[in-house]
Amino acid sequence: MIKAIFYKEWIKTKWIFILSALALFGFASYLIFNVYRMIELKGAVHIWEVMIQRDVLFIDMIRFVPPVIGILFAITQFVPEMQRKCLKLTLHLPCDAQKIILSMVGYGAVMLLLLFSATLACFYVNLRIILVEQIANHIILSAVVWFLSGILAYLLTAWCVLEPTWKRRILNAVVSILLVKIFFYNVAGEAYNSFLPILLLYTAMASSFVFLSVSRFKEGKQD
Amino acid sequence: MKKFSSVLLIITVAFLCLWQLPWLYSFATAKKDKSPFVLYSPVIDDFTLSLYTDGMQHTDLSGNVYTQSELDSIHPFFYARQLLKDERFPDSVKGIPVTYKDSQNESFYYRINPKDINAPQIGVYQLMESMSSRVKLESPDDVFRFTKKSIEFIDAETNTLNSDKSARFTEMLSKSGFVFPANSLSGNPSVKKDYDEGYLVLDAENNLFHLKQTVGRPYVRKIDIPEGVKIKNIFITEFRNRKSLGFASDTENNFYVIENKTYDFHKIGIPEFIPEKNAMMIYGNMVDWTIKVSSVEKVVYYAVDANDYSLIKTYEEAEEETFSGKVSKFVTATSLRFTHPLDKYVYPRFGL
Repeated sequence: MIKAIFYKEWIKTKWIFILSALALFGFASYLIFNVYRMIELKGAVHIWEVMIQRDVLFIDMIRFVPPVIGILFAITQFVPEMQRKCLKLTLHLPCDAQKIILSMVGYGAVMLLLLFSATLACFYVNLRIILVEQIANHIILSAVVWFLSGILAYLLTAWCVLEPTWKRRILNAVVSILLVKIFFYNVAGEAYNSFLPILLLYTAMASSFVFLSVSRFKEGKQD
Repeated sequence: MKKFSSVLLIITVAFLCLWQLPWLYSFATAKKDKSPFVLYSPVIDDFTLSLYTDGMQHTDLSGNVYTQSELDSIHPFFYARQLLKDERFPDSVKGIPVTYKDSQNESFYYRINPKDINAPQIGVYQLMESMSSRVKLESPDDVFRFTKKSIEFIDAETNTLNSDKSARFTEMLSKSGFVFPANSLSGNPSVKKDYDEGYLVLDAENNLFHLKQTVGRPYVRKIDIPEGVKIKNIFITEFRNRKSLGFASDTENNFYVIENKTYDFHKIGIPEFIPEKNAMMIYGNMVDWTIKVSSVEKVVYYAVDANDYSLIKTYEEAEEETFSGKVSKFVTATSLRFTHPLDKYVYPRFGL
């Protein structure tokens, strides 16, 4: 049953997955190419100096891409469920409803995790060729929080989309926006290092919010 | 699961309120900063306060009011350029003969910000050539890092370890009694300065060293710290007059100046300076230094003698205790925030 759920989710999300992969690959390639080009034009010494003295990360253009992908992924995955009233059917399958919802949300989170991990790995491998270990680590550790925000944005969007009433949906959206905002303080590179474990734990716990929406849906709440 | 989600949502909303409502209050009630510009005058032996209310007002602590032109005259070093332009630059200040060139050479501005101390460090640094054959200083083509057993130089163009240079510097440091790794270091690898003094480095056992590169060779000098003093923070200065090598603060929150060449320590006569919590600004000239030490709670100004660093005078900015100020303090104390004016980290904390 769970395999079938995964297959159903894949059918719904394969295009957004491919587009997201292309968008991330495109952005990452552009940003890496840009660093290489600047090294070619101005010399590695200058680029290292700018990174060390001014804390310039060179890849921060990508920071809003993960949450946008997370939101689009959740919309593609869950809006059809609500529009075509499929969720009702899904919840009546001969399987534990909680398990089904968890599988659906887990599928999305894992797919995003794969995309984001691959992007970070791509950054690290390419940056490590031209940058000393400490600077490459600094850039990747600074970027982790943006990619984590993508997963939280996905989970919170799923929570908002599955909510059956508009009033509550707007309240959920306000809470979601504020929560995602926490990930985007532009203070310094690696500023989130000590906060990351808490954010990671919270993101994992936030996956439970969809159960609130599903429970309200099952209770028959309507506008 | 529903119960867990509900509890989590309630806690989340409560935290978001604690974060956003005080922020909204501060945003709505934000007021213009009314801190005066305070400077010690060697001519009147008093602090002057310049504050913009209805136009710029200049007074001293006794309440005497000064015009801009009078203010220029009582701060001959700070307004030296203006006085020179007006052909009013004095021949002597406090009986000491002065020239415009001397005043420019001896005057400096120095700033220590807790945000620079309480901040993530990348862990790689640039060591310039301090005896460059060129007129201008040049950026080095490598960076260095400390490991548990050595100092390593990595060439930027090839991104590879320069083994020879690393071995030379490691050997010199070890010979000088340096215990790896370094605890902290302070340097200013900017080319926009008159000369380079490299780095002040605290080793694993908190011994202080001066490290620089002269004609490609390592210059390492262990600096004797006064008996009983445990250095906590170091700051390289590189002032134009080359009198000092750096500043240091110790675990007792005393503040020292380290002299260049002799490496002598002199305690500066201010009662307390905690670099992790206090911001410091120094306006120095050949006669005295005005030192501003600000914390979240208060701002204190000290005037110290430029030659023996003894305390001349203190001025603490009085804060008016208003009702809105009290409300604001309460709101700040109970609010949740993710950033802080004293550091560059993001994590949740209550109050300031």
